[in-house]
Parts: sequence; structure tokens; C-alpha cells
Amino acid sequence: MPVSASAIYFLNLRGDVLINRLYRDDVGGNMVDAFRLHIMQTKELGTCPVRQIGGCSFFYMRISNVYIVIVVSSNANVACAFKFVVEAVNLFKSYFGGAFDEDAIRNNFVLIYELLDEIMDFGYPQNLSPEILKLYITQEGVRSPFSSKPTDKPVPNATLQVTGAVGWRREGLVYKKNEVFLDIVESVNLLMSSKGSVLRCDVTGKILMKCFLSGMPDLKLGLNDKIGLEKEAEIKSRPTKSGKTIELDDVTFHQCVNLTRFNSEKTVSFVPPDGEFELMKYRITEGVNLPFRVLPTIKELGRTRMEVNVKVKSVFGAKMFALGVVIKVPVPKQTAKTSVQVTSGRAKYNASMDCLMWKIRKFPGQTESTLSAEVELISTIAEKKSWTRPPIQMEFQVPMFTASGLRVRFLKVWEKSGYNTVEWVRYITKAGAYEIRC
Amino acid sequence: MALSGMRGLSVFISEIRNCQNKEQERLRVDKELGNIRNRFKNEKGLAPYEKKKYVWKMLYIFMLGYDVDFGHMEAVSLISAPKYPEKQVGYLVTSCLLNENHDFLRLAINTVRNDIIGRNETFQCLALTLVGNIGGREFAESLAPDVQKLLISSSCRPLVKKKAALCLLRLFRKNPDVVNVDGWSNRMAQLLDERNLGVLTSSMSLFVSLVSNNHEAYWSCLPKCVKVLERLARNQDVPQEYTYYGIPSPWLQVKTMRALQYFPTIEDPNTRRALFEVLQRVLMGTDVVKNVNKNNASHAVLFEALALVMHLDAEKEMMSQCVALLGKFIAVREPNIRYLGLENMTRMLMVTDVQEIIKRHQAQIITSLKDPDISIRRRALDLLYAMCDVSNAKDIVEELLQYLGTAEFTMREELALKAAILAEKFAPDLSWYMDVILQLIDKAGDFVSDDIWFRVVQFVTNNEDLQPYAALKAREYLDKPAIHETMMKVSAYLLGEYSHLLARRPGCSPKEIFGIIHEKLPTVSTPTVSILLSSYAKILMHSQPPDPELQNQIWAIFNKYETSIDAEIQQRAVEYFALSKKGAALIDILAEMPKFPERESSLIKRAGDTEADTAELSAIKSRAQQQASNALVVTDQQPANHPPQVTQLAMVKIPSINEENNHVDQEVTQTNGSMGEGEPQNGDILGDLLSPLAIEGPPGVSGTETLSEDGALALAPVGEQENAVKPIVDIAEIFHALCIKDSGVLYEDPYVQIGIKAEWRGHQGRLVLFLGNKTTSSLDSVQAVFLSPSHLKLELSSVPEVIPPRAQVQCPLEVVNLCPSRDVAVLDFSYKFGTNLVDNKLRLPAVLNKFFQPITLSAEEFFPQWRSLAAPPLKLQEVVRGVRPMSLGEMANLLNSLKLIVSPGLDPNANNLVASTTFYSESTRSMLCLVRIETDPADRTQLRMTVASGDPTLTFELKEFIKEQLISIPSASRPAVHQQPQPTTQPISLSDPGALLAGLL
Repeated sequence: MPVSASAIYFLNLRGDVLINRLYRDDVGGNMVDAFRLHIMQTKELGTCPVRQIGGCSFFYMRISNVYIVIVVSSNANVACAFKFVVEAVNLFKSYFGGAFDEDAIRNNFVLIYELLDEIMDFGYPQNLSPEILKLYITQEGVRSPFSSKPTDKPVPNATLQVTGAVGWRREGLVYKKNEVFLDIVESVNLLMSSKGSVLRCDVTGKILMKCFLSGMPDLKLGLNDKIGLEKEAEIKSRPTKSGKTIELDDVTFHQCVNLTRFNSEKTVSFVPPDGEFELMKYRITEGVNLPFRVLPTIKELGRTRMEVNVKVKSVFGAKMFALGVVIKVPVPKQTAKTSVQVTSGRAKYNASMDCLMWKIRKFPGQTESTLSAEVELISTIAEKKSWTRPPIQMEFQVPMFTASGLRVRFLKVWEKSGYNTVEWVRYITKAGAYEIRC
Repeated sequence: MALSGMRGLSVFISEIRNCQNKEQERLRVDKELGNIRNRFKNEKGLAPYEKKKYVWKMLYIFMLGYDVDFGHMEAVSLISAPKYPEKQVGYLVTSCLLNENHDFLRLAINTVRNDIIGRNETFQCLALTLVGNIGGREFAESLAPDVQKLLISSSCRPLVKKKAALCLLRLFRKNPDVVNVDGWSNRMAQLLDERNLGVLTSSMSLFVSLVSNNHEAYWSCLPKCVKVLERLARNQDVPQEYTYYGIPSPWLQVKTMRALQYFPTIEDPNTRRALFEVLQRVLMGTDVVKNVNKNNASHAVLFEALALVMHLDAEKEMMSQCVALLGKFIAVREPNIRYLGLENMTRMLMVTDVQEIIKRHQAQIITSLKDPDISIRRRALDLLYAMCDVSNAKDIVEELLQYLGTAEFTMREELALKAAILAEKFAPDLSWYMDVILQLIDKAGDFVSDDIWFRVVQFVTNNEDLQPYAALKAREYLDKPAIHETMMKVSAYLLGEYSHLLARRPGCSPKEIFGIIHEKLPTVSTPTVSILLSSYAKILMHSQPPDPELQNQIWAIFNKYETSIDAEIQQRAVEYFALSKKGAALIDILAEMPKFPERESSLIKRAGDTEADTAELSAIKSRAQQQASNALVVTDQQPANHPPQVTQLAMVKIPSINEENNHVDQEVTQTNGSMGEGEPQNGDILGDLLSPLAIEGPPGVSGTETLSEDGALALAPVGEQENAVKPIVDIAEIFHALCIKDSGVLYEDPYVQIGIKAEWRGHQGRLVLFLGNKTTSSLDSVQAVFLSPSHLKLELSSVPEVIPPRAQVQCPLEVVNLCPSRDVAVLDFSYKFGTNLVDNKLRLPAVLNKFFQPITLSAEEFFPQWRSLAAPPLKLQEVVRGVRPMSLGEMANLLNSLKLIVSPGLDPNANNLVASTTFYSESTRSMLCLVRIETDPADRTQLRMTVASGDPTLTFELKEFIKEQLISIPSASRPAVHQQPQPTTQPISLSDPGALLAGLL
């Protein structure tokens, strides 16, 4: 396995080091200064996540107000390094119980040092699963061996746990109320021409689960995807139901999913880890239900005036509604004055993003809303370059709607003791890169 | 400060400063720019105060590095504001945001002009600063006269005058053609009389610029400059504020002395004396003190004074004083001063002959070589290199060699090069040179470039006395356990070439020498292996009588390398092996290398290059170039087939193709020569000649001389008349020579030589054009274009645009013969020398006979062919008149030289010739051609020719071609050389085939 980090730094936005850990000696301790000087304080910041300065490679990513920088001097596995950072952040979040930001780091630096020691060894990533790490890196105080009160809980055997068959789940869990939460979260990526024809469209989705189940339950999930349904029909030797089937591409599962069973029976069956985890990820490229249609008309009237008209239609069910809709209508850089009228929400010129920001908090289904604006431009001395017309961008969230049409058909929980469980299922569709050319 | 009143601006700036990162800053800036745009668009509500505030913000944003591409209108409009704060920001922002090419500036010109000619001094200053900062052509055109007026007006205060002088300086520097300075010498003289030192300093800057442009007009100012210097040197009337650490205005002093250096000499003895007094005072009065600033100022003055002294060619006494001063400088501890001392000493050395005095400081300079500061070491090296002559060469070179061991790697190559050059230039005797160079290679092999050891080999080859010593030395070095690869190369070469001179000495028998070289073979790299192989071949050749054991050993090695993966080594091994089997011939082929033509040492040339890099001063540079050109020993006339680069040492006369060609050429010329011998020049024939030729056309055929001239004229390239550069060879003559040779000079003029080398194989040919630049400057716009006739397909690889000085460029050219034709391809060659465009149209010697392959036919083969090609158009017959009279032997030679091989004895008639050849072209493939020429012994000017081939066009073309050759014989083919025994008398054969032939004809 290739090395993925020689050192890791956590910096705030100013470039001060919050925490750092050197894993190998091949990079100097002052490498972060190079990062600060050559990346953070230049315009290059954020243009490329991997940069090389003087023989060292810097991989960095920004998470809330923290930069996480990995420094390596050898030929490292970049994907592995970034995956490591993402997983580490998830781990920290599960320890801190919430946000990962500068304050959280300052408040938990001892813990972070402890975790950093554990999750990477000499530049090689180690176990990053929160469930397991929580077994032996605890946030409780250390009991003195001389204290009178003996521990009532058996000390968890970490080695056994990590090397066992079901490494992701501890035995002997007991919950009063057995609950399973299942979220299907999809984000729609779209590129549409100004005429309304779809140039590129896909949906990336993931199924997130939260389990509070006692014992060692076996779960089985049924979706309305094509392979599963066909297999089922074959087994039960009856024709497929008339309902819509979905073709999933690029499915990836959490390690708990039994792949042999998936290959033979095409069912997703698994013993879930305790708490929150991502069960599977998938992608869909065909048969996408677009939640919004956008019809822009932008007219440039001479060098100093522009007329913008944007009509947005929601095409999901009338009972549903979208939340947090933001439509960014681009305008040229030399925009001086704007006057905007909208039928719903609010719209305003945003100079630092060069766009008209149109925000609608709640957008019911099967309705439409329009924006019409007049934009005045200032004359510049720069050579008259025609405006590049960047695409209109959109952000939204539509609860209880899946762009792919994916539905959970069943979620069965089977446990030796045969308790009853409560299953909660939610759907949500978000905008990925939802862009309409104008 | 004006900012204090603008709260919005200070708030904005503090917000920007509080931004934690670049991204936040950008967002804030973009927001503010949006705001400013909004405000500017909203014209009616913009108060002057607001306008000012936003323009300041714009400037601040611009200074942070963001693009500000609007709002210039507002900035320019502020210039015309009545109040100072607005005007100031207007001027400031305009000069920052706009450059001279912006149209907005036109709007400002008038306002600026009003300010300049106005009464308000502050506004005048602002305006002058703007004009100076922008300094565009339009500004210069419309404002220069006003600025000039301001400068000389008596009512202006010094403050304005200073700015005016500097503004004018800037305008003049940018557009010297626009600013009218005619008749300014008087005004300049007036200005130089100024008492105020500030104004004087500014005016002096202007003066330096003016004088540098044209010193002639300002002779009258020269005494004034000297006066200024005198005043400063005596410290008269220098106000306190212009005295810097006790030195009266060092800036003005330096500028004045700089201005004086633009005048070639100072004629007036009084002025000269006064100036020297001042300089003397400067030289005497300067010393090294503790205070850094004071040192800097006084040394600036001093070094400028030194430069002036050098420039004026002062008397020896003063020079020696300077050197003494510099000697003091290079002895101090302060590195900057030492550096300056060394550098100026080098300059001194270049300009005047104070070498003897400088030599006194040699020890000190050598210590500087060990200075911890690399720049000082470099200067010391430069100085040592420059001051070296015959007397101190030995010491200096030895010092350099010693230093080589400790010098840093970056310097070593230069050091090695310089040591090598000095050793070569100033060697007291040859063996010393050899010692030094070998020591150099031994010590710093990695840094010894190939040039150096090439030069050694050249040197040894050209000096016979040195050869045994060199071989001995090489032998000694080989005894060392570990030697550098370069040393291995030199030693192997020298021993291969000259070890036989040592044969008498103990341990130097060929076998031992071979053994000692061969020991090193496994350790060396591929290029060296090939040199070693050559050495073995040489040793083998020198061991006469051959020692069978050694021979076997060496053969075994050659055998081994015959399968080497490296083509060069493989070829060498195969060739040497084959050659060494030849016995006696080996001695001829592998004979000692001939002497190299004397040429410029490539080392000195390289040193010139490096010097040009290091030396900043033009004086040094030009001097160095002069030296280099003195060292040039140029061989202008090199043989056409000379290997292009002498530096590429080939141990054996390697270019085998060349050599063969030479032999062939010689043979050809010899055979050609034989034709000239028996030339019948009797009046009879001439008389006979006249009548048929009058019919045929070419007039004035009174002899061969006129004939060839005529030919030359007729063949003179089109458009040659317009060339300023005349070729120094007869192009036509050369062309004819090349028709029967494969290599030679195609064209030559004072600047360019074009050589050609050709190889022909069937219907294809491969030509190489050698474009040689004979001059020391490069030739530009070189073009070679072929106007090829339809029957030839020519592919010329790209010809470089520029031929570097003294370089030769090879351009390979592929020729494919498509079908038979007599037309000739024309090479349109043009280049630019200086301003002359030289254009030549040269015929390319890819003529019909180049595609012949000689073939000798026996009677049995000939006659069936001859018979099968019975009638026109395959067989054509013509009676040719006006043939240049020649004997049968000559004619046979001529045909042979055209690769039409005469088969003697086929024709029963002794006066007839029968020849045959094979012609190759793409359309005809290989085609047998047969020729029969029947001459009339009574009238040699006419003959009957019969040509036969399998292709009608070919028959016709061949007939015409032979006719052309018979009628106009170029004089080139007739240099009277020794007669070559040639079977001219053809034995009359009475065999049947002959009779048959006669019958057929």
C-alpha cells in the first residue's frame, strides 16, 4: 500500500496551525509555511487541491473554516489521502458530536492527537471506523487501578473486535426501543441548454441509515431497482409488477453488506453497524425526473443595458414543495445598477458573485415563478469582449421526492430474539450542479 | 493627510486589513466595486467629496492587485477640479491607472496644460509629475515646449524647475524625436550655471541624457561641468542639506563625471588641467572608513572618477595612483570594497597598460581566489585571467591548477577552461603546456569539456617535437590506478597515435602499451570504447613486423565488438577487423593523422562567450572581442571535401565515402585530363570548323577558351547581375565538373560556400548540400528553393533560416528520377548579408548521366539487343556536325566519364565506338541503352551517332544529351594533367560479331 501522508496539518483560514502531526521524517516541520506562503496567500487557493512546492506535494481541502493539509514528499496515493481526510473528519464529527470547525478542534485537541496517533501509522492509514475506535479511545476519565470500585463492565477486547467476522458491530447491544432510520438522499446534476434540451443529467444518491437495534440483527432491504425485481420475479416465478423499475449504476455498498448474497440473490442483506452509516451509493443516468424547469431570456441592449427574464416551473407533485430555492442568474462584471421584479421570493444583485441572487424559501409543486430585471452596466476601458454568459445555477431541496423514482419496497429486520422494530424512511432530493445555459 | 476626512475610505481599508484570507478580501473588494459602479452610474447624485472618496477606494483596490477597468472618466474629471484634494487624487489615480496608450488621456491634456502654464506652483508640480510619469508621445508633442519654457523661465521657483527638468528628461528619453532640443546647448549651459544644487542635479540628469544622444552640440557645456565639479570638490557654496556625510552632493558629482565621459576627449588644456586637479583630489581624498553610508557615497564618486580617468587616458602617474588605490582596496576586509577593487582593476587592465603595476598586487589577487565570497572569487579569477602574460603565466596557471582542487563545482568548468587557454596562449615551452593540460584533466576531469582535450590532440598532432613527450606522459598517467575518463580518452588517442615513438623505452612495447590500455577497457563508457578500438587498430598497425600474439588478441577484441549493440563501436570493430586483415594496406589507411589546419582555438572562442556573459562593461566586452579576433587564424580556403568539423577527431581517415570519392574524382579528372593532351589545334581544323558551326549557331568558336566562356555566359544564372556579391568561382565550369563528379564545390562567394556530395543508386540519389558561412557574422534569411523539372522528384529537408558564423549546415536532399529528360533542376539560393540580399540560381548537377549504371557488354549480349531495337523511335540516328575535334581516345574517355562504357573491339571499324549503359528511372525501371558513334577520320568535326534503348523518350533524350556533350566540352574537364594510360588504340577485331554489327549498321 502506498504512503498517503508524511504529515497532516490543520490550519485555520489565516494559515495558523491548529494541530499538526508528523508521520514520517521526509518532510520538514516548516513545510506548512510554504503552504501558507505559496498557496493560502495567493489567488491559487482553491483552484487545485493538489499542489507541488519544492519537491513536496500538498493535498488540501477546506472543511468549514479549517484547512486540512496533507504533505508528502514521495509518490503518494492521492485518492487514498483524500479518502483518509474525509473519513478522519467523519470520525472527528462522530466524536465531537456535531460540527467540525476551528473551535471544535481547539476544544478537543488532546482527543484529536490521540486519534491521529491511532488512525495513521508511519503514513499508512489504519482503522478509521468510529464504532471500533470508540471502544478503546474513550472520552471518559481513566480509572486509577488503586481505586476501590472495580469496573462492572468487561473491558472490551479490541483485538478480537477488529479481527472478528463482524468487525463493525459490537455484541451485546441492548435498546429499549428498536428503531431503524433510512434516508435516501439524491442530488441532481443537470446541464441544460437555453432552448431547454438536456445536455447532461444524472443523479447521485446514497442511502444513509441509523440503527438502534439490539443484538445481532440481520436486515434485508428491497428497492424498486431493476435487477432486484427481476431476480425476485424469477425466484417467485411470476411476472414483474407493472410499476416502474429503476436501473442503478455504479452501486457501492458499505462493508457490512453481504456481497455473496447480493451476487446470488440480488438482495441487499446486512448486519448493520451500530449508529449512523452510509449503506450504499449509486448513480442513475436515465429516466431522471427533473424537479424544476428554467426558461431564461437574456437580452443585451447595447453596451450598457440588459434585460433578464427567468421563468422557473416546478414539475413535481402539487402536494410537495421545495425548500431553500436559490437561483443565481449571472450578470456581467461591470454591472452597476439593477432593478428586479419577482413574483415570489426576493432577488438582489450580488457583486462578489456577479449574479442576481433570487431566493425563494418555499416553492410549491406545479407552480411557476418569474423574475424580470433590468441591468445597467458601466462602461469600461477594457477591450470590448463579449460577455461569456455563464450558466444559471440553482440550489434547492425537495423532501419526499426522488429524482430517480427510487422507492424502498421493504426493510426486514430479523433477529434471534424476534423483537419488533420501527422503520422510518425519508426521501430527499437536492440540487447538485443544476445549471441552465442562458 | 487627505484621508483623515474620509471616514468611508478608512473604514473600507480597515475592513480589508481585517480580512483573514484572500478569499474574504476578494469578496469584500467585489462588493465594494459593485457599490462604486452603482454610485458612478448614478451621476447626478455624486458630490465632489463622494467622487473623491470612491476614486481613492478605486486606487486602493487597484494597489491591492485587482483589476479596475472602469471609473477612469471620473478620475480624469477630478483633474480639472478647482480644489487641491480633488486635483491631487485625480492626478494620482490617472497616473496610476492609465498608461500612455489610453484614449482617456486625451481628455486630460488640455487641463494638464492649463495647470502647467498656470500660476499655481502646486498644480504645476502635480501636472509635471503626471506628464513625467506617463510620458506618452501625445503628451510629449503637446506639452514639451511648455515644459521647456518652464525650465528656463526665470520666474519659476527651484521646486518647479527641478520637476520640469526631470519631466523633460523623461519625455526626452521616451520620445527623443518629438522633443525638440535644437539649440538647447546655450540653455543647458545656462542651466548648468545654476547655483541651486537641487536644480543643478536635476538638470545634470537631463544633460547626461542629452549628451549621450549627441555630444557634439554640447561642447560649450563641458567647461561648466568641470566648474561644477570644481565647486563641489572644493566644497564651495554647498549648502548643508546637500552634504551627505561630509561629501558635497555625491549624486551630482557622479552625474557630472558620467556626463563628462560622453565627450571623447577634453581639448582645452586649462579645462583638462582643472579636471585632473579635481580627479586628483577625489583620488587622494577617498579612503575606507567605518561608516557604511559614507563609504558607499565616497566610493561611488571614486569609481566614477576612476572611470573618467580611464576614459581620459590620463598620464601614467595618475594611473599608477589609481592602481595603488585599488591595490589598497583589494586588501581591505570589507567584501564589497574588495569586489569593487577587483572589478575596477579588471576594467583598468582592459583600457590602459598598467599591467606591470597591477602585477605587483598579484599575490593579493591570488589570495582573493580563496575568499569566502564567490563573487569575489569570480572577479579575482577574471582579473587573473586578464592580467596573465608570458612573464607570469607559469605562476598564475599553477595557482589556478592548485585552486582547482578546492574551487566550487559551479566555477570549475570555467576555471579549467581559463587555465587551458592561458596555458596554450602563454606556454613558455611545449612540454610545460602538455604537463599543465594533463594535470588539469587529471585533477578536474569532470569539468574539462571535450573542447579542451580536442585542442590537446590538435596541438600534439601539429607539433612533432611534442609527440614523444606527450605519449610518454600519457603512458605515465595510465599507470595510475584510477584515472578519469577524459584522461583515458586523451591517453588512448595519444598512445595509439604516437606510442611507436616510445618503442625503445622499457615497458613501452606495443604489447605492453596495448595491455595497459586494455586493462581500462571494462571501466570506460561507450564513446571511449570506440576511441580505444581505434587505438588498438593503430597499435596493431604500428607493430611491424606484426606480432602474432598481439594480433590475435586485438582481433579477438574486434571480433567481440562486432556484435556490440552500439552502432559506432560495431562499425569500428568490423571495419578495423577487415582493414587489419589487409596487411600492408593497413599501414596506408591507418597512417598517422595529418596536421590539422591552423584555426581559431575553440577554447578561446568559448572563453569569449563566457566573458561576454560575465562582463557587464561594454568596454571590456569590445576589448575582449578584439582580442578574440586577433587570435583568429582563419583558413578561408578549405578543401571542399574536408570533414566539416576538425574538432571531431577521427583517428583513421574515417570518412571513407569521402575518401573514395576523392579517389574517384582524381581519377576522373585524370582521365579528363588526358583528353586535353592530344588536342589538335591546327589551323586546318579551325578552318574546317568554321563552316559547319556557322550553320549550327554558336558563334565565335575560335578555340576551347571562347567556347567555355561562351558556355559560362550562356549558363550564367538568371538575375545574377543584380547581386552585389559575385561568386568567386566559375559556376558554369563547376557545374560541368560536377556533372561527372559526385562531390565538390557548387558555389562560392566571399561569404558563402556551398559544397555538394552525392550518392546515386539506380533511379534514386541522395545529395547533401553543405552550406558554409565563411564570415564571422551570421547569415540571415537563408533560403534554398528548388525549381525542379517534372522528371525529378526532389525532397529537400528544411534549410535553417540562419547560418551561424563560421558554421556549416548540411541539408540532405533526396532525388528520384521519374522519367528520362535532359532538363536540369535549379536551386534558388538566397541569403542576406548585412543589408545585401544575395540571390543565386544554381543548376543542380542531377543530370541524365547520374542515373546511368555502367555496364560492359560482351558481343553475345550486345548484338541481340541491338538487333531487337531495330527502328525509330526506339533507335535513332543522327549526323552531328560541329563536334569539337577530339581523338577517338578522348571521345572514349568522355563517354566513359559519362558512365557510357565503351566496349572496345565490338565494332570492326577502328574509327567507331560502341558504348552501353543502364539507365534507371521510375517509369522505365532499368533500361539498357546502346550507343554507336561512327567518326570520320578525315573530318573530326562531324560524326554519325546511333542511339538505341527500349524507351522512345529515353532514346531521344540520350541522343540529345550526348550531342550536347560532344559539341560543348567544358574547359573544366580539360586541365592538362598527366596522361592516363588509356586503351586508345582499339584492336581491330575481325571476329564475327564485328562483321555482324557492320552489316546491321
